[in-house]
Amino acid sequence: MEHNVVDHLFRHHYGKMVAILTRFFGLSYIETIEDAVQDTFIKATSQWRTKIPDNPEGWLNRVAKNRTIDILRSIQAEKNRNLSITTGASSLQIDELFLDHEVADSQLRMIFVACHPSLHPSEQIAFALKTISGFSTKEIAAALLTKEETIVKRLTRAKKSIRENNIQFKYPAPEAIPERMVRVMEVIYLTFNEGFHSTNKEKLIKEDLCGEAIRLCQLLLKKEQFRSGSLYALFALLCFHMSRLESKVSSDNQIVNLKHQDRTKWYFLLIKMGNSAMLKAMDYDDTSVYHYEAAIASEHLNAKTFKDTNWKNISYWYEQLYTFEPNMFTLLNHATVCLQLTDFEKTHQLLKIVDVAELGQRAYLYYGCYAEYYINKGEKELAISFLDKALLETSNSLERNFLMKRRDDITC
Amino acid sequence: MKDFMMIFIGADYQELGLSPEQLQTRMGKWFAWNEKMQKQGIVKGGEALVPSVKRVSGPKRTVTDAPLIEGKELIGGYYIVQAENADAVVKIAEDYPDYDLDGTVEIREVMVFEQ
Repeated sequence: MEHNVVDHLFRHHYGKMVAILTRFFGLSYIETIEDAVQDTFIKATSQWRTKIPDNPEGWLNRVAKNRTIDILRSIQAEKNRNLSITTGASSLQIDELFLDHEVADSQLRMIFVACHPSLHPSEQIAFALKTISGFSTKEIAAALLTKEETIVKRLTRAKKSIRENNIQFKYPAPEAIPERMVRVMEVIYLTFNEGFHSTNKEKLIKEDLCGEAIRLCQLLLKKEQFRSGSLYALFALLCFHMSRLESKVSSDNQIVNLKHQDRTKWYFLLIKMGNSAMLKAMDYDDTSVYHYEAAIASEHLNAKTFKDTNWKNISYWYEQLYTFEPNMFTLLNHATVCLQLTDFEKTHQLLKIVDVAELGQRAYLYYGCYAEYYINKGEKELAISFLDKALLETSNSLERNFLMKRRDDITC
Repeated sequence: MKDFMMIFIGADYQELGLSPEQLQTRMGKWFAWNEKMQKQGIVKGGEALVPSVKRVSGPKRTVTDAPLIEGKELIGGYYIVQAENADAVVKIAEDYPDYDLDGTVEIREVMVFEQ
């Protein structure tokens, strides 16, 4: 049945409300605020059964605000102190924070809190996904392929660091922004990758993570002081990847590789957005891995069919990327490109220097690539043994079916 | 036609720690179910209940505040609907959204007193 609540309203709104209320009450109350916002949704779930308010967002804002004030009052009453929160001037002030541009501002501050250097990288992602993006600990655990209790620990540690280092709910000083942005972009990039390459069975989680990463990027691009060539290039890269997310999975939930993707399903609006972001990136002097990766993604998108792909260009970009920043995944990807160029010797050379241990959960891609190498060389048995190794390394049913089908193709 | 009460037991969202996304999905299902029943014109009433419990028991009227009841036994709400018989209400209750969270629907006929 139809109702006027937009998709993901609760999740998106969670991040907004936590950010606004934190800006008003301070980071030291973040736990209380998170609880209050969560309560608001539980309340909505009961109250909206019979009638959904005309302005759902307004309803959520009002209830969350009141709930937070209630909770803080009771905390202060316990402490036996005078009430500093009254319904007069301060509630007027708090209302202003619910205006659109102030909401964006509060969320940006939260991004910088999440990416504060005193937080461990693994804590930064968990904290960002919880506090900015409104994922539950269970959903974060599923998205990052970790146990829920690990996520709970990371979140506790993150909050402890925030308290102990007395981190303020502010933007970094202007001179510190470029350095902090590097980490912010990494967190966004990793969030996207977790979604895009997710070994998770649930398609929904993948799309949500990718969508979140793009949303955060857009939020940052709105403010002059955060813009850079790297940020535009990152945004372009995410748009390019996102444009073919839909075609990566077939209607019967099978994974479809680039070769067999229905290119008419690519989302061209996103490709256009990516292209114009790439042009804007050129106005800045800085270079980043995102520039190279976006160049590679764009080469793929420019090809009308798989056969038309300009593998030579792509191989060139991978080489440049590896020179700019050596990385095992770059080597592995470059190796697969050399397969397409039927440069088997180069493929083998590259695969030999890949340290599979560094690939972590993506080790199956390495074995898969080796298998393709042997298939192309006509060495069936070796190919099968590598496909079996790849199968041992992934639990994702989509990837498994893909590898299994590949195995069947050779054996019959 | 008779009146029946559908009592919803268990599946306390607060205790289960559902995410905002999951809560929105639940809300949508409850809304759809309510709308379906409203269209059929069978709903006579219904409310959702706040999970905190106060109990009065024993000859001394002992009052307990603590939620002594476990979440899975907690009554979360009810509907009163009109139907031919209990089997028809069983059919209606098929759309209750929380079976997957171990929720239960208890169906009770409202007693009619002779005039």
